[in-house]
Amino acid sequence: MEGTRPRAGAMLLLTALGAALGLGACAAPAPPLNVAASGFGQNATGVVQFWDRNTTSPFGKLLVDQFNATHKNLKVVLTPVQDTQYVTKLATAIRAGDAPDLVGIDDINSQLFIYHKVFADLTPLVNALPGKNELSPGALNLTTENGRYYGVPYVADMSVLWYNKTLFRRAGLDPNKPPTSYAQILSDAKKITALGHGIYGFAFPGRCEGCLGFTVLPDIWATGKRLLYGRPGHETAFIQGNVPLRETLSLYRQLWTAGLSDPQSQVETDATWGNDFLAGDIGMSPLAYGPIAAAPASFRAQLGMTLLPAPSGGATATFDGGANFGIPLGSQNPSGAWEFIKFALQQTQQSLAPSAGFEPIRSDVLTPRFRSEYPFAAAILAGVSHGYAPKTIVYNTTFNQPGGPWLNMFDAAVFDGDIAAAMRAGQASFATAIDLGKS
Amino acid sequence: MTQETIETVTRERWARLGTAGSTRSKKRRTGIVRRPKTGMLFVAPAFIFVAVFVLFPLGFAVYMSLTNWPLIGSYHFNGVHNYAALGKDPGFIHSVLFTLLYTGIVTIPILVLGYGLAVLVRSNRRGSVFLRTAFFLPYVIGLPTLSYIVLLELQPNSGAVNWVLAKLHITNGATAWLVNTNLALAATCILVIWFASGLTMVLLLGAMQSISDDLYESAAVLGAKWWERERYVTLPLVRPTIALSLIISIIGSFLAFNQFFILTQGGPGTSTFTVVMWIYQTAFVQLHVGAAAAMSVVLVAVVGLISFVQFLLLRSNT
Repeated sequence: MEGTRPRAGAMLLLTALGAALGLGACAAPAPPLNVAASGFGQNATGVVQFWDRNTTSPFGKLLVDQFNATHKNLKVVLTPVQDTQYVTKLATAIRAGDAPDLVGIDDINSQLFIYHKVFADLTPLVNALPGKNELSPGALNLTTENGRYYGVPYVADMSVLWYNKTLFRRAGLDPNKPPTSYAQILSDAKKITALGHGIYGFAFPGRCEGCLGFTVLPDIWATGKRLLYGRPGHETAFIQGNVPLRETLSLYRQLWTAGLSDPQSQVETDATWGNDFLAGDIGMSPLAYGPIAAAPASFRAQLGMTLLPAPSGGATATFDGGANFGIPLGSQNPSGAWEFIKFALQQTQQSLAPSAGFEPIRSDVLTPRFRSEYPFAAAILAGVSHGYAPKTIVYNTTFNQPGGPWLNMFDAAVFDGDIAAAMRAGQASFATAIDLGKS
Repeated sequence: MTQETIETVTRERWARLGTAGSTRSKKRRTGIVRRPKTGMLFVAPAFIFVAVFVLFPLGFAVYMSLTNWPLIGSYHFNGVHNYAALGKDPGFIHSVLFTLLYTGIVTIPILVLGYGLAVLVRSNRRGSVFLRTAFFLPYVIGLPTLSYIVLLELQPNSGAVNWVLAKLHITNGATAWLVNTNLALAATCILVIWFASGLTMVLLLGAMQSISDDLYESAAVLGAKWWERERYVTLPLVRPTIALSLIISIIGSFLAFNQFFILTQGGPGTSTFTVVMWIYQTAFVQLHVGAAAAMSVVLVAVVGLISFVQFLLLRSNT
């Protein structure tokens, strides 16, 4: 018997390998969807499983509730998915052949799935959309590949610099003159921090890579420079020698070492992001509109906002973020999914975005009534022409992951202080991450 | 005896041995052949379980490790490329070294503390049941929950740890523990030692309580002091259990994930990534399931080897 044991073990392993091969053969990609069939996206029935980014899900819930109340035969079921886990969970579900019927995906991650050819080609449907020309061109661009649409913008979420006018006034600053350059941010922050009593000039989420990408990168983009170049699948990183990047890291380093930033900034995660600013003890903070929209009206009345400035001023930018819709191949109810998309993109529905903390994705929502009801959202939306978001398949691995090259570099530069070394190491680690992301 | 005789005798002996061996094995085989169905039936559930939940996944992992297998998109075979690339992946190498460091730090304290606790609570004094429960409680609560508690209590300016240290005038209460590699590692090690020593205590407690009182009485009669009784009676008799505790503890440390995933997320930077976290990162963040499968296969082999060696040592010790 002793002699036969290894043979039996080998047999078992071979059997297992054989079975594994069989299963491997099953993991074939889902067939393309026929979206051109007549009646597609009309009077669909059944259930639509809709995965939404956790961040944008308050708006998703609002839409789904309205849709379900008005559609008897078609129900949309919303599942919020945590942002840092979204790519992982969606990719795993698609690999397992269990993709949702509809996704609301971070617009920055759309290209990753389009590149891997797992989203349905929606070109004829998008071209036939009544408000197609009103859709945010930046967001729409992130859904295209070779001139074809593999998704459509869903909702916008852009970054701006918020400031507390009450604190500006108390510090002797003009509450109607937000900073327009790094020099001004520093001098304003100094004056506000000098107020003491736990008041700080600035705050940022030092342990939230996604938030930092969202609020720090636009400063660099405002100069026309970027960190990633090249089309999807052919990206290269421009880190070492990137002057606006160095100036930006240096700004945050100075804010940190001079004690101008809330000490909590070093450990601030997305879970508590913006809470310090909302407590009224922070002079300036780059944030999305969401936390502000949720704040009491009396606090909102004390605030001002501006787009994120370039290091030496003269230009501004914003992260053209938010979410895009996509229909994964393998969707069980693509017709129902498109019916919901059409509903969500109507002017009436889009004009509700600010009530959930977001900006609409179509420009014709900017009516006088909208401007008076949501002045901040209207102002942010007016800045959409300054918006940018990289069209890449490597954003998730380079910028949006803990332990990724972006946070590592920011951490090392801002909290350890050797900016040149951090950028040198960053160039190498970005290159490695990009190679991994492309292969 | 002549040389020839010796050879003949030896040959005969070998021949006898051979015959005896083959007869024995034949007998055993006939035994199984005689009642094959009953025997097969008895082992079938275990076999099916092992085949479905161990062998098949293992085989599948080996298969995946020989492909480029991305989490999304199609895949193709790439031979041993993934294995060859392991040596060139600085993240993987760093995570292996970090895991070894972490295992090296926590293993002995867990054992010593667990032993000490077992000594403390082994007699049936009043209150020992309460103490046993209290010491074992962290293990029952579970590492993820404990990690979240510690995560909150280590926050600068608000967590209890910093509050106590500030009250004792040791720090200013603003220590950001989890964004400094050494502090984060220290905090995590303390958490794990506190968490895991309860299990070692329970294992050793069982072994200690099974030692006959007669041995202690004899030792006492011979004039042995308490530490001599501990050294010459308890320790040799609980040695197998110590070895078992070490195996459980070392394998646990090698597969560490929860505590670092929750407390540091591998940071600052990638300095506190453990092997399993790196495998997770490679598979589900970088979407390279094939490369991650190769790492997993290597990890399984290493953990298997360590267990095998420890079991060998354990066997020779008893």
